[in-house]
Amino acid sequence: MAFPDLLHPPSHTSQSSALRLSQEAPRILAKAPTSSLPYPLSLLSSSETEETWTIYENLFLSCLRTGDNVSARKCIDHLTARFGAVNERIMALTGIYKEAAAADTAALVKVLDKYNEAIQADPTNMPVRKRKVATLKALNRPADAIASLVELLDLSPTDAEAWSELSDLYLAQSMFSQAIYSLEEVLLIFPNAWAMQARMGELLYLSYLSSPADPSTLSEALRRYCRSLELCDDYLRGYYGLKITCQKILENAPKTSSKAVAASEDLPPPSPAKVEKLHELATKKLAEIVRRASQQEPGWDGYDEAELIAARALLDRDAEVIVR
Amino acid sequence: MSFVSTILNAVGLIFLTHAVYSAHEHTALSSTSQSSASGTPANPASSLPLDIVIELLVAVVVLSIGIVLSSTPLKPIQWNKWAGAIEKNGRKENPYRILEERVGFWDVRS
Repeated sequence: MAFPDLLHPPSHTSQSSALRLSQEAPRILAKAPTSSLPYPLSLLSSSETEETWTIYENLFLSCLRTGDNVSARKCIDHLTARFGAVNERIMALTGIYKEAAAADTAALVKVLDKYNEAIQADPTNMPVRKRKVATLKALNRPADAIASLVELLDLSPTDAEAWSELSDLYLAQSMFSQAIYSLEEVLLIFPNAWAMQARMGELLYLSYLSSPADPSTLSEALRRYCRSLELCDDYLRGYYGLKITCQKILENAPKTSSKAVAASEDLPPPSPAKVEKLHELATKKLAEIVRRASQQEPGWDGYDEAELIAARALLDRDAEVIVR
Repeated sequence: MSFVSTILNAVGLIFLTHAVYSAHEHTALSSTSQSSASGTPANPASSLPLDIVIELLVAVVVLSIGIVLSSTPLKPIQWNKWAGAIEKNGRKENPYRILEERVGFWDVRS
């Protein structure tokens, strides 16, 4: 395929490649994917492949991202002609287009009303329900967004994407215990998702920072980071979190050591020697990852630039303390 | 590695072809000479000379080594190695990407 990037949703591709893709849009759109002949003959002359509609959908999203609403309109017209206007997914995509084209808040509220109508007609229309949550978020009504998302999850409790979004919405409101609960649901569905294990560690760490009463939160965060590293070798985000969590535990060590023994209900907190060892390991591995990635060694060049910079900054801060 | 495997494959193929051709020639020759001499058909497999048998076995071993050496690197079968390779290669094939990107909830206006 000429455009491998178009087989992935565009929210992950870089700005420059999204721009390049949307510049290619007129050329891709010039080739009509469907045949104009009537039904039995159209089967013979159509140039449709499995990837055609994935490409159209992602091209549509890329165009909206770069503000090329004209090409986006053409994409959505092709998709509607193929799948019909009442298809759930097409309804959601048409909604995205209207959201992007809405000039002001009043127009966006009108889009929201359309979503409400569609949901009343078919309460199980998940793509449109998700759009409703996104629109409420864009309208800066987080409480309504959360309520609507909870309603969605009542209907479909195994939707990991929705649980993950709910966790983020709660986190934005600093409701840590609810955010952690939602992420636990994600982990029940995908227990091997290493990024989610690390995310859990991050949430626990943040909740400790906001209310540093219970030191067992930190040891739980430590365990989550260790699990994410167990699931994924050389995981930069996991080692970063492990290092800062260990630092925090070691800072608190003299204060908590007397209480910790009494507070251990289910799992005892890790011993200071063990935490010290984990800290050393995390520092060593972070230094190795940063070194190999910055030298662009083959097989090590896919790390995120921002994450590498953050890891380097963390290591430098450490070095400064030692020099002093 | 690819140079060594190419050499091994070429040598193995030559030996294999030679051994098969020799075996064919030998059976053709011995059956005609025996049938003209005594009139009783002999079992050609039992009378195959030892050098042809050895050449054939060596050719098969050499070819096997060459094919194994020239095959593509094995894919990881351990979860942590597989996940680590995905992380190091820019997360394009991560099956759990949807949990972080959440296209369904994408905010177009941000």
